[in-house]
Amino acid sequence: MNRVFSYLVDAVGGVLFYFGQTKLRTALTLMGITVGVSSIIAIMTVLATFEKQTEMLVSDMKTNIFYITKDNPIDIQFGPSTGRKGRIPRITWDEYEQLKRTLTLTTNMAATTTEEPSDRTISVGKEELKSRLASFWGSDGDVLSVSKYDILDGRNIQDIDIENSRRVAIVGYYIKEQLFPYSNPVGQSIEIDNIPFEIIALTEPKGELLGQNMDSMIGIPISTFLKYFGSKGWRGRPDLQLILEAESMDSLADATDEAIGVFRAIRKIPPGDPNNFYIATNDQLMDTFGGFTSSLTIFVGLIAGISLLVAGIGIANIMLVSLTERIKEIGIRKALGARRIDIFLQFLIEAILISLLGGIVGIILGLSFGSVVAIFLEQDPVIPFDWVFYSLQICASMGIIFGLYPAIRASRLNPIDSMRYD
Amino acid sequence: MVKNKKEIIEIQSVSKIYNLGQTVVKALDNISLSIYENDYISIMGPSGSGKSTLMNIIGCLDVPTKGDYKFNSELISEMNDNQLANIRNQKIGFVFQTFNLLPKLNAMQNVEVPLIYSSLGKKDRTERVEEALSIVGLQDRMTHKPNELSGGQRQRVAIARALVNKPSIILADEPTGNLDSKSGNDILKFFSKLHKAGNTIIMVTHEESVAKLSKRRIDIFDGKIARDE
Repeated sequence: MNRVFSYLVDAVGGVLFYFGQTKLRTALTLMGITVGVSSIIAIMTVLATFEKQTEMLVSDMKTNIFYITKDNPIDIQFGPSTGRKGRIPRITWDEYEQLKRTLTLTTNMAATTTEEPSDRTISVGKEELKSRLASFWGSDGDVLSVSKYDILDGRNIQDIDIENSRRVAIVGYYIKEQLFPYSNPVGQSIEIDNIPFEIIALTEPKGELLGQNMDSMIGIPISTFLKYFGSKGWRGRPDLQLILEAESMDSLADATDEAIGVFRAIRKIPPGDPNNFYIATNDQLMDTFGGFTSSLTIFVGLIAGISLLVAGIGIANIMLVSLTERIKEIGIRKALGARRIDIFLQFLIEAILISLLGGIVGIILGLSFGSVVAIFLEQDPVIPFDWVFYSLQICASMGIIFGLYPAIRASRLNPIDSMRYD
Repeated sequence: MVKNKKEIIEIQSVSKIYNLGQTVVKALDNISLSIYENDYISIMGPSGSGKSTLMNIIGCLDVPTKGDYKFNSELISEMNDNQLANIRNQKIGFVFQTFNLLPKLNAMQNVEVPLIYSSLGKKDRTERVEEALSIVGLQDRMTHKPNELSGGQRQRVAIARALVNKPSIILADEPTGNLDSKSGNDILKFFSKLHKAGNTIIMVTHEESVAKLSKRRIDIFDGKIARDE
């Protein structure tokens, strides 16, 4: 035990000394490991940051809910889209009403249309909202409770507002801060594209999610949305997203099947043809994201793997150079009583320390870079502790694998010839 | 010769043959030799005579091709690498012509190297190192690196390193060869002191003046002992 500790102290001293003597060479060798490790850590920091955000999203969602939309809302993939060919029709109000009349297994249903972000002019008198509105939606459902908004003051949209296409609006806290800094906006008037609306509710501050300011939000009844904003402006006719709620988790599969069947019938899709709409549960949406992160992980792992392999060859090389430079030292140590295993361990520990040093620099760089990206995307960076741990493990293993051959060679040197070597 | 002292080294009909492809070199040819406790021996001979080979075998850096070599009654000629390393570590103190200090380590660390391979605790090691360095009079140079020391001081660090494990014999290979005459004389005086203190010293040299200081002189010529008195 004493011996091993002495080697360690010795090796740390040796590495530091060697590093001091051959700064450039060692730095170049370490760069390979550093690049490999820092790229893994940087990507993993960004992914961990987003994963945390998604987990927050998931915990915000009900499990017995499913959606019918035009496209997969979280459609991130590499390469060309494998999706449907041809024009994909938007979901219309008519289709929604037919669906609502026919479905039996769906207990609750709402249509929402969202502009995210919205270019509409938001003003109070002569005061205009300076930044772009992050979210402008119309809905006939309880968007607030589905999206976990709490009302700070006022009342939610009610059926009577929808029936009469009333010009009433719910505003997020950011709108109050910007346009009503000194007063309660509830009961006051706000203009959307110069059309006056009465503010009926102010929501509690929600902060940011996935880089979006959740408080830069205005919601109105869907009937009002279609009446005033439905036929003109932003992308013509609005595209509806339908939120459907099954009675429970158990009936979710049946309810989805029924909805698919009915919606295909409404759109008169011949049997055998694929759906020209997208239907998914919350779980499936999260799976899409999970698939994206895991394919990105494999991709990054591949790049990092190649970089680490090259770096490992560099370590083997630097250890062999170090070996030839220190043949005399090995001879002296052997003459003074070092056994093969002593020299072997000395070299192996040095190789491990060099790769760990590269790894630690890589981790620091990667965490910094990943955090900068996360902060740039307005997220709180999350440190991927698991990957920090894996990286250290990988570096230590690399030191062992690529330090093995030089260490064996060093341990087999003959003391007499080595001491004469210059 | 007085034979009532304890026999440390017993070399019996030892030959060392190097096979260099076509030619066969007989570096040592059937040598027999006994070395006793508190001997002070100089081994002399021209280069190529086999004295270095003899030193390597006595120092357990090499094993003979033929014959028996016993060190403290242990048969060295049949030991493996690790056993030889242990003998070198515990029983033999080396002093080399070129000092062979490790340049990156300071005096203390250099003297400590043999102790690292002998499983001694850090506290004991430091004690022994300080003791050895004060024996050679370098207690105020302990943190100096070899390049900050004079040749004579470096050789004294090397002697401290040779003494630190309290070996049975001290093997010195041309210890004054790289030193000016004053430093050389200091080192030789020091060897005499060590001898008086009871140490066994074997020294390879080609200088008559150096050899005269020893108590026993062995001349090697063509791999054979030409003189032993």
